[in-house]
Amino acid sequence: MTAAQDTASPAAPAPRPRRPGARALMMMVRAEGRMVARDVAGLVTPFALPLLILLTSAAGASRQEIVAGRTVLDLYVLPLVLVMVLAFVGVLNMPSFLAYYRKSGILRRLAVTPASPVLVLLAQTIVSAVQAALGILVAAAVAALAFGANPPLHLGSALLALTLTAAAMYATGMIVAAVAPSPSAGTAIGLLGFLGLGALGGMFGGRDSLPGPLAEIGALLPFGAGVDALAAAWAGQPPPGQALAALVGAVVVGTVVAGALFRWE
Amino acid sequence: MDGHSGQNPAVRIVGLRKSYRGRPAVDGLDLEVARGETLGVLGANGAGKTTTVELVAGLRRADSGRISVLGLDPVRDRAALRQVLGVQLQESFLHGALTVGELVDLYGSFYPCPRPREELLDLVELREQAATRFERLSGGQQQRVSVALAMIGRPRVLILDELTTGLDPAARRRMWRTLETLRAEGTTILLVSHAMDEVERLCDRIVLLRAGREIAAGTPAEVTAAAGAASLEDAFVDLTGSTPHAQETLR
Repeated sequence: MTAAQDTASPAAPAPRPRRPGARALMMMVRAEGRMVARDVAGLVTPFALPLLILLTSAAGASRQEIVAGRTVLDLYVLPLVLVMVLAFVGVLNMPSFLAYYRKSGILRRLAVTPASPVLVLLAQTIVSAVQAALGILVAAAVAALAFGANPPLHLGSALLALTLTAAAMYATGMIVAAVAPSPSAGTAIGLLGFLGLGALGGMFGGRDSLPGPLAEIGALLPFGAGVDALAAAWAGQPPPGQALAALVGAVVVGTVVAGALFRWE
Repeated sequence: MDGHSGQNPAVRIVGLRKSYRGRPAVDGLDLEVARGETLGVLGANGAGKTTTVELVAGLRRADSGRISVLGLDPVRDRAALRQVLGVQLQESFLHGALTVGELVDLYGSFYPCPRPREELLDLVELREQAATRFERLSGGQQQRVSVALAMIGRPRVLILDELTTGLDPAARRRMWRTLETLRAEGTTILLVSHAMDEVERLCDRIVLLRAGREIAAGTPAEVTAAAGAASLEDAFVDLTGSTPHAQETLR
């Protein structure tokens, strides 16, 4: 008996739930990657944005050494730039893509297949994260060559902090992506999130200039926690436990809330 | 309303109601589709056809009533049902930048035992377009891709909403042959259509909806005869219209 005859058999029992696995995820990631590669204009954000933010932030940074050969540029500006890029891509850029999928009916079409929301969100996140990682690498290379920036004293801690910050930003962005009914709504909600997180995390000036309670809240949100963790890595210190806990918490909360709120239409 | 099989029906709908902003789209519908049967769902625009099949597909939640597809609840048992349900939506959008072959590979990866790419593309006669991006296909070709993706998981129940809308006569006939292949495999089919020749050729039974309610059901010949009409199209116009004859027939 062929598979077709078997599955179409009137007497066949009701199927058991089975979600698409790693192969489906790989295919979805490949499909997303192809679409990104075929839309050259879409590559501006992940590649040009980190460079622009770096150029506007690094030019005026002091080269005065603070600790172990690391300067203001290394300890304050670079962590801030990297977190800004991750926040921009994760909270603002990725959700608008998913909102476009929802508005265009692509999510509706996927909703009648065994594909789960997690599969769609995960594939979007992976492709977006790869783009962000490549953009950050380009920016880091330019920072080193053009501005004399130094690498982090604790490379492993820096990679851990970058990974957790990226995951926290994407998890936050997934909440936006889960509920935004249209690309413009996704952009509006994402912009509010980006600016809000940035304001409390030190994007417009040091967190120490904020009122006490706001500064404490900012340290517990992904932007401020990411900056703290990366700055520590550049200074050769272990990442602060509070920052790591805040980033992990953001990943868990974002994933759970996004999964609960996700709408195909 | 009974299906024509003694077994448990493939689809059973009991007392189904769905309203949009207080206006009933489906109003107490009861329906059964036997396993292996092709049921045509007919009605004028706004009769509740698409809402009904979208409720069966689990795309919408009913206000009240029950739906069972192969013994599964479309909302509660979503994951299990999606493996054996194929759906071609009335308006379907796909990733325009992907080629036909890439779309087939992507959607095939969601199912445990998908039809091979070549077999599927032969079935809808799109093998030569495998390397063409979806956005560059004609409307009819896009429709065929949509139908192909509905069939890719070897569904036991297939929902086709306006299967041949926008297709030229030759493409329609090719699509009918495809459907006849699926019928021969034992697939249960819900076909929403306005094309009476299509319904007469493909459907074992039809159900005619008006204002979300069943107003006639039976084989195409039975419905035509019951309406005292010369053709199914005449019966459709009589039964779904508001002519005195239609009102009398309905009474």
